[in-house]
Formats: sequence, C-alpha cells, structure tokens
Amino acid sequence: MSIILQVKDLVTKFYTLDGVVNAVNGVSFELNEGETLAIVGESGSGKSVTMMSLLGLIPMPPGKIESGSASFNSEEGLCDLLQLSPEEMRDIRGGQIGFVFQDPISTLNPILTIGEQISETLIRHKGLSKEQAREQTIKLLSQVGIPDPELRYKAYPFQFSGGMRQRVVIAIAIACTPKIIIADEPTTALDVTVQAQIIELFKELRDALGVAVIWITHDLGVVAGIAERVLVMYGGRPVEIAQVMDIYKDPKHPYTLGLLRALPSLEAKESKRLKSIKGTPPDLLIPFKHCPFASRCDYAFDRCWEEIPPLISVGEQHQAACFFDLEEGGPRHD
Amino acid sequence: MTDVKKLVEVINLKKYFPIAGGLFQRTKRAVKAVDGISFDIYEGETLGMVGESGCGKSTAGRAILQLHKPTSGQVLYKGRDLTQLSSAELRAQRPDMQMIFQDPYATLNPRHSVRKIVGEPLVINGKMKKGSLELKDRVAELLELVGMNPAYMKRFPHEFSGGQRQRIGIARVLSLNPKFIVCDEPISALDVSIQAQVVNLMQDLQEQFGMAYLFIAHDLSMVKHISHRIVVMYLGKIMEMTDRNTLFDDPLHPYTQSLNSAVPIPNPEIEITRTRFILEGDPPSPANPPSGCVFHTRCPLVTEECITVEPQFREITPGHFVACHLANTTGGSKIFIPDSKKEPS
Repeated sequence: MSIILQVKDLVTKFYTLDGVVNAVNGVSFELNEGETLAIVGESGSGKSVTMMSLLGLIPMPPGKIESGSASFNSEEGLCDLLQLSPEEMRDIRGGQIGFVFQDPISTLNPILTIGEQISETLIRHKGLSKEQAREQTIKLLSQVGIPDPELRYKAYPFQFSGGMRQRVVIAIAIACTPKIIIADEPTTALDVTVQAQIIELFKELRDALGVAVIWITHDLGVVAGIAERVLVMYGGRPVEIAQVMDIYKDPKHPYTLGLLRALPSLEAKESKRLKSIKGTPPDLLIPFKHCPFASRCDYAFDRCWEEIPPLISVGEQHQAACFFDLEEGGPRHD
Repeated sequence: MTDVKKLVEVINLKKYFPIAGGLFQRTKRAVKAVDGISFDIYEGETLGMVGESGCGKSTAGRAILQLHKPTSGQVLYKGRDLTQLSSAELRAQRPDMQMIFQDPYATLNPRHSVRKIVGEPLVINGKMKKGSLELKDRVAELLELVGMNPAYMKRFPHEFSGGQRQRIGIARVLSLNPKFIVCDEPISALDVSIQAQVVNLMQDLQEQFGMAYLFIAHDLSMVKHISHRIVVMYLGKIMEMTDRNTLFDDPLHPYTQSLNSAVPIPNPEIEITRTRFILEGDPPSPANPPSGCVFHTRCPLVTEECITVEPQFREITPGHFVACHLANTTGGSKIFIPDSKKEPS
C-alpha cells in the first residue's frame, strides 16, 4: 500500500475578536491508497477544521494555517496541498479529491437542476462536452441508486428527500473518479434507516472505485462499521491512532476509553449506569501547556500538568498521546 | 406492572395540522401528525418514544401536555381529562407536568440570569416571593441538585456550555416538583461525553423523586438504556409497544426490526458479521399517508391486505402490542430469523 496523503504538523488558528482560537494544534496522519480512515471527535475537537484546511476552505481571515504540510500524491506527482494557489486548489478539489458534507441542501445550488450540477463538475474537471457530460451524469445517478435517472436529471434539489440529496452530493464527489473522498459527518443529518442506506452505498462505491475515504464523525457506532483505521482527536490534537479493532478492544488513551464507556449498549440486558466523562471540553482560546485532557482524566498525574504528551507508539500501528499506561496502571516509562 | 398506578392515559389521541390553500385559504387537507395513539404511562416509569423525523413523536409529546390542542382524543392525568379543562384549570395543573426541550439555549432567556430563570416558575405560581431569601436558597438547592455550582446563579446562559445549559433547564423544570416530564430529544444536541452525564442525572433524579418521563428521541440505543417500556412510532401511528428488552430481542413489527438492524453498533466485530436488513426509500409524507398500513410502502413482507386494511393495534403477548396483520407468536412478521444473537467476550 502506498501513501496517498501525508499530513504533518498542521496548525490552524482563527484570529477572532475574543482572541486566538487554537483550533488545530499539530495534526499528523497518513492515508493509504484505498483505505478508509475515520476521524472521531466531539464538537470543537478540530476534526472539521483539519479537513477544511486540507481542502483550502478555511476563510482567511480570520483563519490562518500557521504551519504544516500535506503532501498529496496527485496525478501530476507529489504536491503540498497547503502551498497551492487558489486556482491550483480548485483543479484538485472536486476532481482528484471529492467531498461530501453534512447538510446536502446547503451543498447543492437550489436554482440549478441536479443534472446541471453534476455535469458542471465533469465539464470543469474532465473537459467533457455537454452531451458527454449528460450521458455520464445519468450513469452516475443510477450508480448512486437514484431511480429514473433520466427523469431525475431535470429535477431540482427541493424535489428530493434528504437521503436522495445526499446521494446526489455523493454522485458529484465520485464524478471525476477521485483518489480521496473527504466525508464530513455525511450521515448525521439523516434518519437512522436512511443513514444505513447511505453507509451501504459508500461501502459499495469505495470497493468498486478503490477510492480512499476520510470519514469525519462523532458517532462511534458508524465508525465501527466503515473504518479500517481510526484517528481520535481532542482539543485540536490527535490523541490516538490505531486499527479499528484496537480502538474498540484495546484503547490506550483515557479519552478513547471514556468515550466508549459513555455509550449505552444495545446488547446489555440490564441497563447499567453509564460512565460519563466528568467536566467539559477545553476552551480553545487558551493555548495548552499541558495535556488538554488532564482536567477530565481519572489517571492524570504530575507530568500531565507539566508538558504536552506527544504521540508515541504503543503497539503495532497503534499510537497514543498519553503518559499513563492503562495496562500497567502507572506512568509510562520512556 | 399491575400494582403500579397509571399516571397518564392517552386514549386515541389525534393532532391534525390543517394545510390551507386556494384563494380564500380554505382548509384543503391536513397533516396527520399524530393519528390515533393510545398508551399509558405509570408512576415513576420512563416510557421511551422513538421514530424517525416526521413520525409525530414531538407533536405527540406536546399534544399530551396540551401545548398543541389535540384534534380529538383524551389525555387523562390522574383520571382527569386534560383536553376538557379550561385554561385556568389547566394552568393550575401545569406545575405537575413539565417539559425538557432539545435545544437548551433556545429555551433560556438570554437576558435573564440563572437565578431568575430557575426561580421564575416558583414566582409565577405564587409559591415564593420575588427577591426573597427563601427563593434564593431554593435556586441554590436546585442548582446543586443538577450538579452545578450555586455560585453560578448570577451568570447568564451564554456563559455556559450546552450540557450545563441543559442542566439549568432541568433545574427550572424541577423547581415545581413535577410528577410527569416530557423530555423531547433532551440529549440530541449534546456531545457523547456530555450525553452520558445528562442521562445519568435524569436517572438519579427519577430515583430520588419518582417522577415519570416520556423520553422522546431518535437514538435507539440511548432510549433503550433509559426506558422501561418503549413505543415505536411511524407516520403518526404506534407500530409497536413493549418493554425494552423484548423490543430488541423479539421485535414483531417489521419496522421495529429494520430500525434495530439500522442502528450502528460501536463494536467492529459485531458490525462486520451482523446480518442487516436495510429499508429502501424514505418515510412518506404525513400529509399524504399510504392507505391501509402506513408502513406498507417500505415493508418487505407486504401483502394485499396490508395495502387496503389498516391493521389493529393488538396485544400479541401480555404487554406486547403490535399494529401488523402478520404479527403472531410463531414469527409470522419476522423479516429474518436472527442468527442466534451472538455477543463475543
């Protein structure tokens, strides 16, 4: 497997009237070809800002990408996504990197037919003629499971239900056979039965097209079914990266463990009391000098209040940013 | 459940919203948001209510509390029909029946301090005097009860996080010692780590004060966690009602079965191996519901009868109610026989 995207030390800040919001504080990860990586975190964990930084969608000002690199193995060779001009970015975004956002109604243009919106992508990125684009669009519509694609070509977004709209957005994302699809909470706004449909569609398309997927979500249930690797974020930093099985069976960071324990189980016969994580998420206006999770952590000790724990290897393809060894039940020895 | 007293009886409750149209805005059709639902809520019980968006679960909660005037049907609270009360009589009854809303920010007046927000119901209901020391002490007590520092009472809603705001909303609801609380998606707007805090708080309060909850939510796993019994709604009607374990171990309605099957389980081992049944299409519009059984357009087991005849909501086994023609004790309404629910480790 070759690496298709390598992000290193990404730092994104927002300069607001209230002060500097430290949204992303040093995110590094890599994405392999054809792999599905889930980025999990709660609101304010920096998961969406990370992706918007990569896609060049951070409004500047107030936002600013302070440092970092994101080397993307594009068709034209390696390039740093963070260094591209807006024009170069536009060629990649929607072409080699597709994206799907949470709310399909605000992603789609209400006054263009959905056929026009999909064709537009094909004409812009692939240089197809109008007629070729139309043919291709109808194929795409049936590929994402929209019945009567020829008829629906002329329909407007408001004539579609939420699930169908999200299918249209997915059709746009896969139109130019991208190498990566970035999906930011793509099923959060949908009902549970429709969510199951969209997840199935994503899996089918991923396997058929061999595309790598970055799936951003707060829902650990969805992650379990779709991801191969998981990156857990907290306070704008990655706190744990591992294979999906290891995250659920053998979490090494107290935050990951806490998140899993806070979930009710559908299997349990007796309803046990949930183990909540005490306190509230950190204030990003204050730059961290210590572990961002320390104030909510049951295992925090002196060192956690003195320095920021770096990501260290804790197992095969398993990294965690914590000074405490959950297995040993004591501080980790370097 | 026989020795437990009924607190609320909902009998054939309907709430239609008229759709006006044409030159003189005549009522043309109606959205049948809630279309004939019946169930009881017992003292000290949590009844969960689940369904997808547009199934009428929020409208049902509001119609029970008379926040929406029901189109027809009865709501008996301790045997007294709320739908027949005058507004003054209803107001006298209100302290007993409260509501917790989804978005705590929208329910708190941004220009009022926490002290005023939490104390206001007591002042309005004439229980305590505005500005009195007694009131201040009660507010402090309520804040402590929901796990907040009483010193926060001088602060304003914007100074708090979502979870804390929901706690403030709960403190206000508790101020009048209600017996029955309708909770409309109380945790949907909160982060996972905070959801558990609020759910634990609600369970603690129920243990301490013995109030009944109608817990409305779309998150099946959380509803199962908190509820004693669960009602499943679809297009304004109840599809199935039973206790929490039966609903997940032996669901009879095909809709309940597909809901169960669609819920993602946070365990990759189960997720990879489980047999799933995924419903096709979207729920139809409640303005134009299908004939016969409202679920027949998406049901994999649909028969002639389902298209024309509306199924009765009947008791199949004691305490297990289902609205499906095929439901029986021998698995007539099962989409598939689950492969012996296995749960490793």
